Amino acid sequence: MSTITESELSVDQLLDRPWVTIVWDDPVNLMTYVTYVLIKLFSFPAPRAHELMMQIHNEGRAVVSSGTREEMERDVQRLHEHGLWATLQRDDKI
Amino acid sequence: MSNFEKMGDGYSLALTQDEAHILINLVEQLLELLGEGDFFHHYDTSDPLAQLLAMPSEIVTPEDPVLMRLLPNAYADPEASSDFRRYTEPALRGSKQRVLRTVREELSVIVDSNEDGVVEALDADIWLMAINDLRIALSVRLEISADSFEKFELMPDEEPQKSVYAVYFWLGWLQENLLTALTS
Repeated sequence: MSTITESELSVDQLLDRPWVTIVWDDPVNLMTYVTYVLIKLFSFPAPRAHELMMQIHNEGRAVVSSGTREEMERDVQRLHEHGLWATLQRDDKI
Repeated sequence: MSNFEKMGDGYSLALTQDEAHILINLVEQLLELLGEGDFFHHYDTSDPLAQLLAMPSEIVTPEDPVLMRLLPNAYADPEASSDFRRYTEPALRGSKQRVLRTVREELSVIVDSNEDGVVEALDADIWLMAINDLRIALSVRLEISADSFEKFELMPDEEPQKSVYAVYFWLGWLQENLLTALTS
């Protein structure tokens, strides 16, 4: 990821592309624990939390929230508090 | 065998003296790794020089792989990650230290009694986070991967690390046990 140029920035602003929080798979966190944390932090209904957990497990990652950069930084911080491996980035879907 | 049980509005955990010792040793080691050793208590913290030395001028990426996993980068971009770390890492460390200190206090009651005991009315979220961080710390040292359990089962008893693997898998069992108690 390189520094954002002015033209890219204006495109992002025009499209109002949100930021996303991604949770990555790791061989340590229990599947039941990941589901529990997703419900606790994001108030997902249990089936949705389970679906996201399976996506993390099978595909290696899943987007768990989207919004402003500040909101995603807070989400990442809370996920790190719970020991989940999370990062934030601009949504790469246009 | 230790077990989390629902008791009234809360949860309890029965532990043997050996189990309480294993847990408190791990908790104290992790607290030290997170920077909370006796170090802080030997100084008069009101001394401005001590405060100056205790305060890193710039927070850099942790070199220890356990800390790197417990306090991970938030961005793929190193510069953005380092900015984020500067503002948020002290709070994240502090949160993990508070969780571990709470568990340590509850365990020390049993350890100091020299008998098997029960942690009563424990905070399930605190215990889940503490056990999880202990598992993460051990997993980095043991290089845990998806097939580690099979390897552990085939390991000869004389293998020196086998007992550490056993503790790691016991912690996983304990965490699963608490999650089952919480969600059933």
